Amino acid sequence: MDGPSSGDKTPACDKENSFVSHVVGLSLCDSTPLLWRFQDLKTVRCQGLVGALLGSLPRTPRQNGRLGRPLLLMPEEERMLSDRHSAAALCANDQDEGVVLRHQLEQYEEEQRRSYEEQNVLALEDRKSAMLRAMTSSHTGSDAGNTDNLQGRLEILDQNFTFPQSALAVQLSTVRAGLIYCHEDRAFLQADWPMRAQDNPCREVRYQVFTDLRSRGFYLTSGGKFGGDFLVYPGDPLRFHAHFIAVCLPLEESVYLLEVLAVARLGSNVKKTVLLCSPGLNGVQYTSLQWSGMV
Amino acid sequence: MADKHKPDTDRSFFSEILSPSELFAARSRSHKIPIRGQKDFFPNDSEEQRQRLEQSLNEHWSLISEERVERLGNLVRAKWIPGDQIVELQSPAGKFWQTMGFSSDGKQFLLPEEALYLMECGNLQVFHRDLPLSIQDGYERFLSPNTLRLQQYQVFGHLKRLGYVVHRFDPSSEPSSYARRLNLPQSRDRAGRQLKRKRSASPTPSCSRSEAPEESTTERMEDDKPRHDGEEEKTVPESQLTASSEAPSVQAATTSTAEERRGRSWWMTEDLKHKASVHCPPSASSHWDFSTVPFPDLGGRLSGCLASPDPSLLPGALAVGVCDVAAWKGRINLRKVKMSAKERNREKEVCRRRRDINKDREVQQCSNWADYKKLLAKRQGRRKGRPEHLWNREVAPLHDPRQPLPTGELLDKISVLKSTNLLEGASRLKGSDEWKICFNVYQPDTVADFKKSNPGKPYSRMCVCSFDDPVPDLRAIKLLASQSGDVPVVIAVVDHGDISFYTFKDFQLPKDVYP
Repeated sequence: MDGPSSGDKTPACDKENSFVSHVVGLSLCDSTPLLWRFQDLKTVRCQGLVGALLGSLPRTPRQNGRLGRPLLLMPEEERMLSDRHSAAALCANDQDEGVVLRHQLEQYEEEQRRSYEEQNVLALEDRKSAMLRAMTSSHTGSDAGNTDNLQGRLEILDQNFTFPQSALAVQLSTVRAGLIYCHEDRAFLQADWPMRAQDNPCREVRYQVFTDLRSRGFYLTSGGKFGGDFLVYPGDPLRFHAHFIAVCLPLEESVYLLEVLAVARLGSNVKKTVLLCSPGLNGVQYTSLQWSGMV
Repeated sequence: MADKHKPDTDRSFFSEILSPSELFAARSRSHKIPIRGQKDFFPNDSEEQRQRLEQSLNEHWSLISEERVERLGNLVRAKWIPGDQIVELQSPAGKFWQTMGFSSDGKQFLLPEEALYLMECGNLQVFHRDLPLSIQDGYERFLSPNTLRLQQYQVFGHLKRLGYVVHRFDPSSEPSSYARRLNLPQSRDRAGRQLKRKRSASPTPSCSRSEAPEESTTERMEDDKPRHDGEEEKTVPESQLTASSEAPSVQAATTSTAEERRGRSWWMTEDLKHKASVHCPPSASSHWDFSTVPFPDLGGRLSGCLASPDPSLLPGALAVGVCDVAAWKGRINLRKVKMSAKERNREKEVCRRRRDINKDREVQQCSNWADYKKLLAKRQGRRKGRPEHLWNREVAPLHDPRQPLPTGELLDKISVLKSTNLLEGASRLKGSDEWKICFNVYQPDTVADFKKSNPGKPYSRMCVCSFDDPVPDLRAIKLLASQSGDVPVVIAVVDHGDISFYTFKDFQLPKDVYP
């Protein structure tokens, strides 16, 4: 296989340099690290890490076509971030003391009250402008009596308008409230890094292949649904189809012919090229499989 | 976006809290998802591609960054109870209550995964210590090894978003395989099949297979031996009727009890044994004088009780007590049977043939039924020339070529390895913790009339595993199948964000031959 073009100048990552310095925060959910903060998601994407969205999309939650936060990283993506020292684990501080809690509670109630007042004003303005629009459009030839009439109505509205509590728009936050980035977190995290099973040789092979392909500018996602380790995209998966199915194998490992045939056949059926990827001393060796279809 | 770490921008940056005016404006925002255009094949550094990518990314990020904003009146309020790992509703439940949640002590509760899903759908606001929980809080607090793993929640959410009703699977609420088998009316076909299979597997009864040869060897005897007919269930009652001289009453008796063939034949033989014991004192293997072995005349002389039969004539440890026939006598139809001329002719024919047999000296020498059968077999063998030596030995051919048998049955008979199915022997396997069924899944189209109290039979049952896990072995599959009964078990494999479903099913190889 040809060496893929090196160095990606994907336009979206023009600002990449500015994001590399940004440390993303991972939070553990059931011992799986997830990314929650919008800015963190953007940051890792600009580093060419795609991950997988797990949550329901706020706009239209009841569908599986497009999902929303949180973002789950592949183990290789996690490790790459940790190798670059650009990720930190965030801990949920559950041990809020009474005073802090009371303070938070007061703050929350105060915010709710303020929100209600502001929304009340907004709703009233909304109603007024709607009324104004209705009046002016129905009476194009405006005369004095009409404006008086309008003025009167607006006053009545002013006096009688009530904004029901149930109409108050509230936010169901995605990210934990009051979570402010701080440098202590980062230090804390190096010790308790979630990616533990590094002793697994299989993982090591995968990681080497991952870093190599990533350094050549490819985007990678998990390839389980196509029977491989990774799906390899020439550009951002939003705009491009995967070209390769990467299967990671240690160099010295022998392979069953049937397995090779199966994966090659599958690859040709989905119009992708199967890559056997084996890290060696001089970088990763790639072998592409093609179903020749020769009779 | 701000790329500097000014403290003031940091705050707005990371807290992602909307201002009241943003909240108000969000009430009227669109719910449409932008369509993703056709993807390009390869990046070519063109300006056009760059713009398209930027547009896609912008749409992507605007979707991802969007916060959930709901009217307070549309939100159900609830409280997280960490001790019980459960969510208690504090305001009336919404439409979701039809398929989710449960009541206890007059309170309404949601399981953590249900609550989390409803939070994600913007239907529920959960409070903890009077502060609202974010979605992140929900994930981190609700999902744990004690409740549901993240992977399991991924599957749960995936199915819920597709509209399925998903409940946790509770093995204790499922009937055991034994209970399932007893409970015939509920799952009739399965239980029936299971019984049948069990029967053919055990060597003793194997009725269906032994029946065929017996019938063919006794073709001729059918008429001669009415008692045997009684057992063979296929003969017309008239033959029995003439065989025993007290025709009308017995015939009536047989027809009246003939609702269930098997049951009746059992009762008849019982009767016969009775008579034998009454009239033949324990003369063991002497030549039986069949004229002295009449049927019990329940309609006439006999009254009250039938004495218990001679134990030496009964098989094994069977004990038969005195039989009170008074109740039966009441049901006997004593009307005289009217026969048409045709029927009478047939009777005569039957009588003639029977007489022929009984005059046969060889037949007369037979001391019992087995002797007679042997004689018949010998005669038949002689006539048709079966290579006798093949049958003399311990190992005999699987099939007697003289017996006509449909090809399908023949193939079945000579197949040494029988096919098995997933449930066979599964109940004997010991359970393991490795594989567990997580969810009962009900189809979306049943949602309208779905009842939590009586959900009915699930559409499928779901196991959740990861791509790193092994494929379940046959033992695990059998165990899962026996836990699930007749509901298919589907295995959901989670590969990061992707979920694939697969299932193992019994497969019956198609037969080429049909009778």
